[in-house]
Formats: sequence, structure tokens, C-alpha cells
Amino acid sequence: MILDRTQKPVNIAELNFTLPKTETFTLSNGLKVYFINKTNLPMIRLNLMINAGSKFDPKNKNGLSYLTSLVLDEGAGGLDALELSDEFDMLGTNFGISTDNDSTNLSLQTLSDKFEKSLELFSKVLLQPSFNKADFEREQSKLINRILQSKDEPEYLADLVFDNVVLGDQNSYSYPVSGYEETVASITLEEIKNHYRKFFVPSNSNLVVVGNIKNDELFRLLTKHLNNWVNSKNDFSFKNISTTQQKKIYLLHKEDSVQTEIRVGHHSPLRSQDDYFQRLMLNTILGGQFTSRINLNLRERNGYTYGATSRFQYYKDNAFFEVSTSVGIENTGNALKEILFELENIHNGITDSELEFAKSSLTKKFPLNFETYRQIASGITGKILYNLPEDYFDEYIANVNSVSKSEVEQAAKLFVDNNALSIVLVGDKNLLKDKISNFNIEVVEVDTKGKSL
Amino acid sequence: MNHLNLNCTKGKLKNGLEYILYQDKSIPLVSVNIWYKVGSAYETKGKTGLAHLFEHMMFQGSENVAKEMHFRYVQEAGGTLNGSTSTDRTNYFEKLPANSLELALWLESDRMGYFLPALTQEKLDNQKDVVKNERLERYDNQPYGLAWELINTNLYPEGHPYSWSTIGFLKDIENYTFDDVQNFFKKYYSPNNACLVVAGDFENDNATNLIEKYFGLIEPFDADYKPEITYPKLAENILVEHKDNVQLDRLYLAWHSDLIFGKDDAALEVAADILSGSKNSRLYKKLVFDLQIAQDVSAFQYSGKFGGQFMIISTARPGINLDQIKKIILDEIKTICINDVTDKELEKSKNGIKSQFVFAMQNIDTVADYLNHYKFHLGEPNSFEFDLNRYNSVDKVSIKSAVNNYLTKPFVELRIISKG
Repeated sequence: MILDRTQKPVNIAELNFTLPKTETFTLSNGLKVYFINKTNLPMIRLNLMINAGSKFDPKNKNGLSYLTSLVLDEGAGGLDALELSDEFDMLGTNFGISTDNDSTNLSLQTLSDKFEKSLELFSKVLLQPSFNKADFEREQSKLINRILQSKDEPEYLADLVFDNVVLGDQNSYSYPVSGYEETVASITLEEIKNHYRKFFVPSNSNLVVVGNIKNDELFRLLTKHLNNWVNSKNDFSFKNISTTQQKKIYLLHKEDSVQTEIRVGHHSPLRSQDDYFQRLMLNTILGGQFTSRINLNLRERNGYTYGATSRFQYYKDNAFFEVSTSVGIENTGNALKEILFELENIHNGITDSELEFAKSSLTKKFPLNFETYRQIASGITGKILYNLPEDYFDEYIANVNSVSKSEVEQAAKLFVDNNALSIVLVGDKNLLKDKISNFNIEVVEVDTKGKSL
Repeated sequence: MNHLNLNCTKGKLKNGLEYILYQDKSIPLVSVNIWYKVGSAYETKGKTGLAHLFEHMMFQGSENVAKEMHFRYVQEAGGTLNGSTSTDRTNYFEKLPANSLELALWLESDRMGYFLPALTQEKLDNQKDVVKNERLERYDNQPYGLAWELINTNLYPEGHPYSWSTIGFLKDIENYTFDDVQNFFKKYYSPNNACLVVAGDFENDNATNLIEKYFGLIEPFDADYKPEITYPKLAENILVEHKDNVQLDRLYLAWHSDLIFGKDDAALEVAADILSGSKNSRLYKKLVFDLQIAQDVSAFQYSGKFGGQFMIISTARPGINLDQIKKIILDEIKTICINDVTDKELEKSKNGIKSQFVFAMQNIDTVADYLNHYKFHLGEPNSFEFDLNRYNSVDKVSIKSAVNNYLTKPFVELRIISKG
């Protein structure tokens, strides 16, 4: 038989994929636990999400949540910083703390036979951090230097300015998680301790565990090591006022740049089950994938860039829409023109085949999101963060498939607003000015905080 | 640990293509991973970066797959895909829902066997632009982005396969011709110069039949050229200073070291971990924790088929002279040469390495790539236990001897200094 290579093979058989089952229970101190039993490897992944992100940082104290997370594991439960780190390392356990705008996340990845010892250390960090002055001062000055270093990084600077101009001063989400040099310098150890006392409580946290362990054994160990974690009554609030922006180009000068970082976008309504899937389809067609319109145009047809994408960035209580790319200086104007073209053109409708492609891609990719222990834990954590319905994953494929062409076109009208675009350029202003002069858009030169100069 | 003993099936087609099958049915995914035995080390002067540019061209379609469609078909099927170029090899991989195995094999075989008819000047010009942007974005416009290139042009003698970086010099990228790309394919992209791994949820018989069906008819040729393994030495220390748009000065020290899987390779990796792999590692504790004169420090053994290098990198805090950091680093190396490392240090490193082996098994892509990695370097894909054992066998004596063999020799010192 001669093989006909011209024919793309067709899939055999339907895929037999079952979603991992989530069990939930609550410790007597109120800590809610989500557990997925996964047994193909002798390991356990644990994520603790604490509702304590940088959006809660007080005015002029930006970086407080992040610095707290940096100091938290510098000694705990009678172990100094180096001893604590050694104990984790001796177990071969990965322990980490990260902070974003919404939450502080403690994670543990460990071999099953090292789980109890690792959990014991985890509990020390969480319940009995030392918060020594010397450790605080070291981490504080390291962070200040880290912020200084980030001024070298064009992507970081573009994001920094974009967050600020799109969300505005009156919005806690517009400030950097790591803070500014002067705000971090003003933070005191007492403020770190207060932040910890206020936010690091079970009722303000959710625990996700994925791994090779029995349900009752997990419950016993968590009770033993985390049940002493006590609650306190606290109210948290943060500023979340957003204003619509006028179309403007914000130019941040970075001397001797050989590329221009570009961000284009605007504030967007919150993530909602009512329109999430319509926006997902819209973005998949517009710029969410390699073969989406924006990347095919800027990279594969014009060679302006190594890559270009768009996305809806969803925070718990805020959101924005953003196109981002990095291009050669000489193509800055051309690239911007093509981005603006694609944002206009998406309002002229989409094709059936684009919609079918987006649906096929997202529904068939679904099982790939549940491969690693970490992916499963992140999936559940996201479900908690956005307060998604219980059956979110069960209904995911059906929800994607139910989106119609007219709904995507409607979503383009509602969620891509070309009159409200903020355009951020980070590059050498002396080389950029004539590239952007004929857009008839006001150009404002800004500093790294997005303030006009 | 039986989790690291992977039961593989090996085979070879008449045209010389080797394949490895590894079944893991824990989740209905399949990973297809091909290594071609060519990387930037095979390039010649004036044509640096060609292996990487060629990798880009492999995504531009083949006789039965139009431009953009390679990506499109994989994404439409719910898969992910990519490729990468290193000094020693080029790999291509996709991960798909298990029922799309045949699609991946069709795509990979089409570009292995039927790439040239679809190659056009227009596609080449487009991808030259893309790669130029990649270089500008990821190297030239990044703080410290030129460090690797500056080190390797000094560490290796001119013409050594590791003396240029995989991305290539900008001028070379601009000058590739249509013939260069064609000839590169004709020289290296033969089935007998590649190895295919299929890993995940599939039946062996079916996979074997599909591999034969799609790859069996591809004509092989002699892929001849191989760079020579030389053992370059530095006669004396070389100091390079480079001014850059950075806030903080950074010191790089680079020594020649052992080849990958060489006698001292694992011992040098463990030594690197003891120097900088954790908070209580020697250099981190001294420079970052106690003295607080450095913002960071990292040491690592970077080894390939044609060369090895041991690197220590540290960023100075504002106002700190790099001499001070350099002295502490060199003193610490002297100490390791004289005194044994402690039992605790050894055990800590080994426990970390053991866990990382198990954690790596979560991802079928990673597993597939490791199988090809071991096959390429050791001849046997199922070498996870062997590899882990290589680290477990490292002892005080082997660390001392490895450090003595390499880190007491002349080095390249690069200082990236703030323009201020």
C-alpha cells in the first residue's frame, strides 16, 4: 500500500479522560482543605493560598506583603534561617513562598516518605516565624537592591508603567508587588509582624494538597501540625477605583535600547462566568496562541518580532486587556500600526473556521492541564481564587463549545475598546520619536511610575 | 527506586532511524520527541547560528504541510510543541492527547523527509528577521545579555565549536543564504542522524507500525561531519571588562572543565551545589548572608559533548568592589582543594538531586527528552538509575580531586561594569 502523505491523519477513538476528584474537609480551626489523591509517583504537592497579596499594601508601604513573605522563612520555631533552610534541603524538599497582587502562596513539594517532616517544618514557618531584626534588615536591603536591578529589565519596566497607567493611582492593583525603593525602605519590622498577624490566619487561607497519600492519613497529619494555627478577627480593605483612560502613548526612555517593548491595552471588567468563555474564545482568535491573528501578522508575515500575544489578565477583583511584544526600533511604528489594525479588524467579525479552531484547541488541550502535581494544585487554587462554580472543570468543555460566533463578535465590541487604549513604549526616545509622530495620538514621556515628566 | 527504571522498547528502521518507545498510561497524553545529532558546534566561521535558524525553518512547513500549518494542526488537536537548539543537538517535540499520535508522526516525518520542496526565499527572509529580533530581545537588549558570548569567545580558542553562542552573531544571521539552509539540511537531517522517542499512553504495536508507515520510506544519506573533541587549555588568566547599562556590577569566572558524563562531571555538579546551591551553601552564606557584599551568587558545571566549563557568577551590591568578591570565591576554592567537604554537605546535595529525579518524572515531555538525552550520550535511554547513581557515588575524595583538576587552573574573568 502506498502512503498518501497529502492526507492529514484523523484521530482515532475518543479520549478517555477522567478529571481528578477533589475531596474537601475542614480542620477544626476552620482551615479549608482541598485534596486530590494522585498516586503515579511517590510525591506530594501542597499549596497554601493566603488572601494577603500586595493589593492590601497601605499607601506608601508598597512591598509590605512581599517583604513579609521574604522574611517569613528566615528562621522559625527555634531554627535560625540557615538551619531551617538546611532542614528542608536535607529532606530534598522544595519549599517556596511567592506573593502576587491577590495572595501570598506557600508551597511544598516533597517525596511522600518525607512528607511529615516537611510538613512539620512548613508548620514552623507558618505558625512560628522568628522575624529577627538582623534577618529583616538583610532581606529588606536585598529587596531594595533587587528593585534597583529591575530598572535594567525592559519587560519589567513596560509592565510597571502599563499597570500604572491602565489601572490608575487610585487602584491598589496598579502598584508593583515588590514595591518601590523608598516604600520598602520605610517598612519596619513591626509592620511586618502586624501584617503577618492580621492576614496569616486559617480563615483567610485555603490549602490544596495533591499527592500520594491516603485521605485519613493526610487529615491526621494536617490536624497534628496545622490545627494550632489560630484565627483572629480582622477586616481587610483596599482601593479598587478604576477610571477609563484616554488614548495616549506613554513613552519611557531607556537609553541605548536596541528593541522597543510595547504594551497596548485597557482596563477590563472582572472575570465572570457570564462572559468568561466568550472572552476566552475572542482572545484565542486574536492573540492567545502562536497561530492567532496578532502573532501571525507581526511575526510570521512581517518579521517585526520574536513573538506577540494578547491576554485578559484577571485578578480577583480587577482585570485588564493587554497586547504585548518587543520589536526592533526601526519597526516600532510599523508594529504599532499592525497591532492597532488587528484591534480594529477584530470588530469586523470572525470566521467560522477561526471559532472552530479555537474550540478544538481549547477543548482537546483540556487533559494537558492536569498532568503534573503542580498543575493540578494550581488549577484548584485558581478555582478558589476566582470563586468558580463547583462544577467548573466538569462543565469546561461544554462551556467552550457553547460559545457562538455572534457572542464572540459581541465580546469584541464589549471588551476591546480602541478609544481607551493606553500604549506603553519602553525604548530609546531619541530613536523612537519620529517612529510614532504620525499616529495622531498624544505622546507623554513618563517615569517608571507612569508619572508624566 | 522503580520509578526511575523505565521499561523501554528500542528499534531501528532500515533507513537508520532509531526509535524508543516508553509507555505511561497514567494520563491520556503522548509525547513525541526527536533529536537530530547537530547543534551549533557543527557550524563554521561566518555561519554561526545556522543550526538555530534551521530549527526555525523546520516550523515553516514541508511538502504536505503549508506555512503556519505545523503549529496550527498541533494546536487544533490540543497539543503543545516546540524545538530547541543547543551546542550538541537540535530537538523537536510535541505533546498531544493520546489519540493524536499519528498526527505528530505525520508532521515530524514530513519535515524530516520532505522539507526541501517547501523551502522558499520568502520564508527564509521572514525567519531571519524573526531570529534577529530574538537575538536583540533575548541577548542584546537584556542586562548582562552578552556575558555568555564574551566568556566563550575568550575561554575557547578561535574555531572551537563552543567559541560562539547558539543564537549566532548578528552579522552571520543577516548573511545566511538559501543555499546555506538547503545544504545544512542535506548534511544533517538524515533519518540515520536522528532518534525518535514516543512516550505516554499508546500501544507499542500501533506505534511501531505508525513509525514504519511514516518514516520508513525516507531516504537516508551519510551525515558525515563531526567536530573534534579537543581539550583546550588557558595559558594564563584572561581578564575581560565590559561596560553595560546595568545598575550593579557582576563578576563571572569560567574554567575549562570535564565533558558531559566525564569522570569529574558529577563531582563538579555536586561541588557547585555545595558552593552556591542553597542558603547555607558556602559562597551564598559568606557573600550574601554574612558579609552582604553580593546580591546573588551561583556556581554551575555546564558540560557538553565537545567541552565543559565551570562557572561562578556573582552580582556585587552597590559600592562593592568585585575584587573583594573574587578573593572570597578563590579562597573558598582553595579550601575545598585542601579540606574535605562535610558529610552533611554531601548528603544535602544528594538528597536534593534524588528528589529532583522523581519530580522530573511528572512531565511526560521531560521524560521523553531525558530518554533521548541518555540515548545520545550513553547509548542507553533507560539510564535514570545509572545517572542518579553517578551522583550518589560522588564522595569527598572525588570532589577534592575534581576541584583540583579544573578549578586550580587559569580562568576567564569577565567583569560587567555599570556605565553609571
